[in-house]
Amino acid sequence: MACSLDELEALGTRPLGRTICNEQMVFFKGPENKVAAVEDFCPHRGAPLSLGKVCEGKLVCGYHGLEMGCDGKTVHMPGQRVRGFPAIKNFAVIERYGFVWVWPGDQSQVDEALMPSFEFFDNPAWAYGGGLYHVKADYLLMIDNLMDLTHETYVHATSIGQPEIDETPCKTTVEGDKVILQRHMAGIQAPPFWQMAMSANGLDPNARVDRWQICRFTPPTHIMIDVGVALAGRGGFDAAPEHKAYSVVVDFITPETETSHWYHWGMARQFKPDDAELTVKIREGQGKIFNEDMQMLQLQQANISKWPDRKLLLLNIDSGGVQSRRIIDRMLAQEQANSNHEPEGIITGTTA
Amino acid sequence: MSHDDLTQSPLAADGAFEVHLAQRGEKYRVPADQSILRVLSDAGVDVPFACEQGVCGTCLTQVLAGQPDHWDMFLTPEEQAANTQMMICCSRSQTAALVLDI
Repeated sequence: MACSLDELEALGTRPLGRTICNEQMVFFKGPENKVAAVEDFCPHRGAPLSLGKVCEGKLVCGYHGLEMGCDGKTVHMPGQRVRGFPAIKNFAVIERYGFVWVWPGDQSQVDEALMPSFEFFDNPAWAYGGGLYHVKADYLLMIDNLMDLTHETYVHATSIGQPEIDETPCKTTVEGDKVILQRHMAGIQAPPFWQMAMSANGLDPNARVDRWQICRFTPPTHIMIDVGVALAGRGGFDAAPEHKAYSVVVDFITPETETSHWYHWGMARQFKPDDAELTVKIREGQGKIFNEDMQMLQLQQANISKWPDRKLLLLNIDSGGVQSRRIIDRMLAQEQANSNHEPEGIITGTTA
Repeated sequence: MSHDDLTQSPLAADGAFEVHLAQRGEKYRVPADQSILRVLSDAGVDVPFACEQGVCGTCLTQVLAGQPDHWDMFLTPEEQAANTQMMICCSRSQTAALVLDI
């Protein structure tokens, strides 16, 4: 995932410069308002095209007015014949679910059919709210983090953490390219975030609950987490809607460099989908919680960068991340084998 | 200056050719591994240039005789076919000599 359409539209006639998988890209609305992405590099003097503006579907360089088309070919430049100007790279993009999705790798392997589908977008039965964080840490550390929710007890002690998480073992299963890690806690007290959600859904926040966390990793770097609480003994995850408060934590993790990524986070829920105020409240709560992850990951990355040769431990609680990384490694090897030229990005050939 | 014969003769097998500068009354040999522009610049002939890859049009030069071998991306195919002008940074010769309006 490159960006949200809202983010792009908020810039008006300015384009959006963003590095994805080590590729410096610039996103803009081309002819017929369709989003395009090209290299953020003017073929004239190397100026970042993202400093320019968009005029009638063309990206106009902010240095000397070179007009770039969505295919990476120069369309026009005042006082010049542009026929021989070298083309710059362009990247396949699609607009879906209110976001822009880009294929950063080998453009000959672009396959729109690989774009995953999500039931909670464009669906009136669901509400969605989310945000974007720029995290100065390897995207794989975020995958590790989300495929192991044991950290909630410590990192999120005041919101969603509770000791029962540590005390309940988790189970990891792999189904093809999917990794599922789950933990079910029975007959516990709901932590503060879930008490708020229970109240919002008309449930007694002090009632005993069964709580679940089901993390689902799918390529390239998407993690959807079923989270929720149901009144104890009503079937947990499978309880009837009136007995539970639950949602899907939505994580789209887009690599920027080896040590940074764009973290598009959100929450999709089926209870009170029309309650816009609740969406805002949940987004604020989630934003605070995920800011705690960001702080931890950035300092973790700084430590790892300082001691690059130190071996780290992988424990039973890390098995979800281990399996997810194996799938990413396999897909990377696959794409590089299919590619005729050297790989250029961290993740190439998968829709980020 | 007698260049009439060479501007009608085919290019030598080694790829080298002569350029005759009509205004200056000078003659230079352009070997296969050098451009006209490079030979003239090295000899102290002041010719304008910029991109040196046949894109920008700065070194556009009028051709008085001989047939250029066009390699540039600046001239249109029609302009190239007329053989009355060339980009001396990258284009070469199909005849043993070219006469340029320099």
